[in-house]
Amino acid sequence: MAEEEKKGLSRRDFVKGLIVGGAAGTLGSMGVYSYSPWRKSHFAKAAPKNIDIGECKSLKITNISETSWFDNKNLMGDIKGAGGLLVNQYTYNWPPFAEKKGQLGKGSYEKGIKEIKQWLPNHLDKAWQFQVENAVHPENAGGYACLIDVELLDGSRKKVLLDSGWSFDWTEKCFQREGIDRMLARREIDCLVISHEHFDHFWGFPVTVKYNPEIPMLIPEGFYTEGLQYIKDCGYRGKLTVVKPGLNPLFPGCATYVFAIPIICRVYGEQSLYFNVKDAGMVSVTGCCHQSIIQFAETAQKTIKYKKNFGVYGGLHISPFEDWDPKYDDLVFALKKYNFEKIGCNHCTGIVCAKKFIEAGYPVVRGTARFRSKDTAYLGNGDTIEFKAAG
Amino acid sequence: MEGKVEERYGEGYLEERKLVPRWPAPWPQIVNTIFLLAVFYVTWWIFQDPRGWMRMYTPYVGYMYTRWTLIVLIWMVYVYYYWPFRRHQLDNWHPVLKGVVMTTVSVIILVILIKGFFEGLLGNLSMAYFNPHQLTKLPGVTEFFAIEYAALACLMFAAIASWLSPSWPVAMEMAPWQNLKQPALGTTVLVVTFFIGTIVYFCTMHPHMGILYYPWQYFCSIAPPYWEKFADTVSGNFHVAWIMCCTIIVWTYESIWERYPFRVIKNDWTRRLVAFFGIIAIAWCCFLFLYFAQELWWGPAIRGTRRDAAPDWRWLHVGEMMVFFLLPALFVTFYCNNWPRKFSIPVNWLIRTLISIAGGIAVYWLYYNISHLVLGTQKGYSHPQQFPMIPTIWLINLMLINHWFMDNWPGWKKVNAPETVHAEEVET
Repeated sequence: MAEEEKKGLSRRDFVKGLIVGGAAGTLGSMGVYSYSPWRKSHFAKAAPKNIDIGECKSLKITNISETSWFDNKNLMGDIKGAGGLLVNQYTYNWPPFAEKKGQLGKGSYEKGIKEIKQWLPNHLDKAWQFQVENAVHPENAGGYACLIDVELLDGSRKKVLLDSGWSFDWTEKCFQREGIDRMLARREIDCLVISHEHFDHFWGFPVTVKYNPEIPMLIPEGFYTEGLQYIKDCGYRGKLTVVKPGLNPLFPGCATYVFAIPIICRVYGEQSLYFNVKDAGMVSVTGCCHQSIIQFAETAQKTIKYKKNFGVYGGLHISPFEDWDPKYDDLVFALKKYNFEKIGCNHCTGIVCAKKFIEAGYPVVRGTARFRSKDTAYLGNGDTIEFKAAG
Repeated sequence: MEGKVEERYGEGYLEERKLVPRWPAPWPQIVNTIFLLAVFYVTWWIFQDPRGWMRMYTPYVGYMYTRWTLIVLIWMVYVYYYWPFRRHQLDNWHPVLKGVVMTTVSVIILVILIKGFFEGLLGNLSMAYFNPHQLTKLPGVTEFFAIEYAALACLMFAAIASWLSPSWPVAMEMAPWQNLKQPALGTTVLVVTFFIGTIVYFCTMHPHMGILYYPWQYFCSIAPPYWEKFADTVSGNFHVAWIMCCTIIVWTYESIWERYPFRVIKNDWTRRLVAFFGIIAIAWCCFLFLYFAQELWWGPAIRGTRRDAAPDWRWLHVGEMMVFFLLPALFVTFYCNNWPRKFSIPVNWLIRTLISIAGGIAVYWLYYNISHLVLGTQKGYSHPQQFPMIPTIWLINLMLINHWFMDNWPGWKKVNAPETVHAEEVET
């Protein structure tokens, strides 16, 4: 050993050096390889499924209401007071689940529904009056809903109601303004699609039930027990379909797609709609699009047989509270790649985002800012948008 | 002539103290795990849980305080050597008393730091985005997001501090000020690491804050940020990720690696510099590899999308995954006396590393299967408001308090004089 040391390097040190050097080399190579273009050879290359959902001729969307709430400051004040964005929405003491003299963040579905169940679904004015007297910020509740009127290739029509608002009072007035109440009563609307369980899309459900308690209804898998119980407590008597994650064709040219994703205020799962418009392309219609519009477009490319992207309608969930994050700029940059020809955004897209879209040169369809919608940068309440092939 | 005995405070305390397990293994480990988890759950419910009392998991407010608590603990023990606590207090106070007193001191420092330095000084006199009140003056910004944005800025600073603060004692061995006495030594290192941290902050996090507001603050920060092409995102999560990897590697190097392999370098300055930059190099390898691992598992990232396909989330998740590996590594060091010790250093090093990787994967799996049931978070991987680093760092903070302040009480006791002990179970 002593002789080896004299030579400058023992066998043991050599082996140790070899191990350490080998480990460092492996780690370094691993790091470099992980960012190199060669890594891409390991990615699975799944062929598009090309599922044929058929085609429709055109669709016209009427924005019943995109103003889910009227004052951001109040809404975010409530969320802050209740404990932030992960707090269970049923505990806020927001309408329609307020208990008597409801305190922010101290409520529950059970206590709230007990106060109004007797009036559902036919005496919504009484149920709402209780909310006005007891709920946290009842005046701030609005809601999201739109009517999708589809013309099929044979000339027949299908009507889909996407979401049912929040405030009983506001939603009913909006339904009456656009004639939705009469369409429901005359059974002209084929189904109700609930995009997700959030208060502003789902809690106004009794208004739909009031006019048609038997309307077929589709909800995404992931509703919590409170939401499922609410459907029963509203007096709903129709066919309820809980849609599993993935593609769910509805009628020629139309399919819903459910994404199994966690969402703020303790909600899980979102359902959006695809419409394949003949000679025009794919139109994506969303409630809030928590999965992101780019994910929705990518999913279409991987799943459905169609020619090209054509249009978008709905909330795109970018800056719902007029907040911002640099990652949203990634979306503004990247959307260009998808070549949408007509963008009808509103609701949780956010006014800031709509303005950024316009500045980026995207084909955003402007609105009229009527019926309490705030800005013409996007489609407001009562505005319509049509998607069909040119000429 | 009798010389005055110089006060050492906590210099060398962690290395010199003798901790004796109260019972044969594995009972001390089991007892301390139960104790830690109980304290974790109670404090989680009080401070963080969205169903609990203070509900600080908004998420950024709770996230910020959790990260800065970690750094304050590091300052107290690794930078200031427990100063101003005296050696006889460390040696003779009951572990519970030490835990309560020192944790209280850390909370006081924390509040002064957040409210005084960041919100008060920086937020009022330099960059408005550190102060929620200043942010509410911006049209359209609600109080909630003003608080969240300010907390985000503070916690981005914390990410850098959590890497640099331990790096100087661990990698740079406090050089060139190692011969100073406390509190001069601690203050010097604190100022130096804070200065370097500020430069790193300006180059990595400030451009993120500059495009957080509409319109982009072109004249205040580089917009879009320079890392856009490389990272496939303009989000600062890219930097958060590699900096978190550096943090985790510093602690791995200090704990289960016992400063191997760089400690074999005999020249002081070569060893220090190689250790400092070697930690960064190892961190970058892990950083890039874990991003690649996600591409293999979930498919390539898609820019502009949200959740688990988004590059910004993938980068952040790299940092999150690394913290999962740190938990078992610290457990092996603190409560298993860096088991195993019987093989050669490289073999021990390798076995402990493999244990930490396996343990990290197990904790990761456990977290994503039960956190929504017990922590009040949301199920699923990529909830935009879910940060697994909050509960993991919260637990690490408690482990540090238990190990550094409380001498591993209740499973262990500290002996000051020679005592009959199981020799193989004594931690030195």
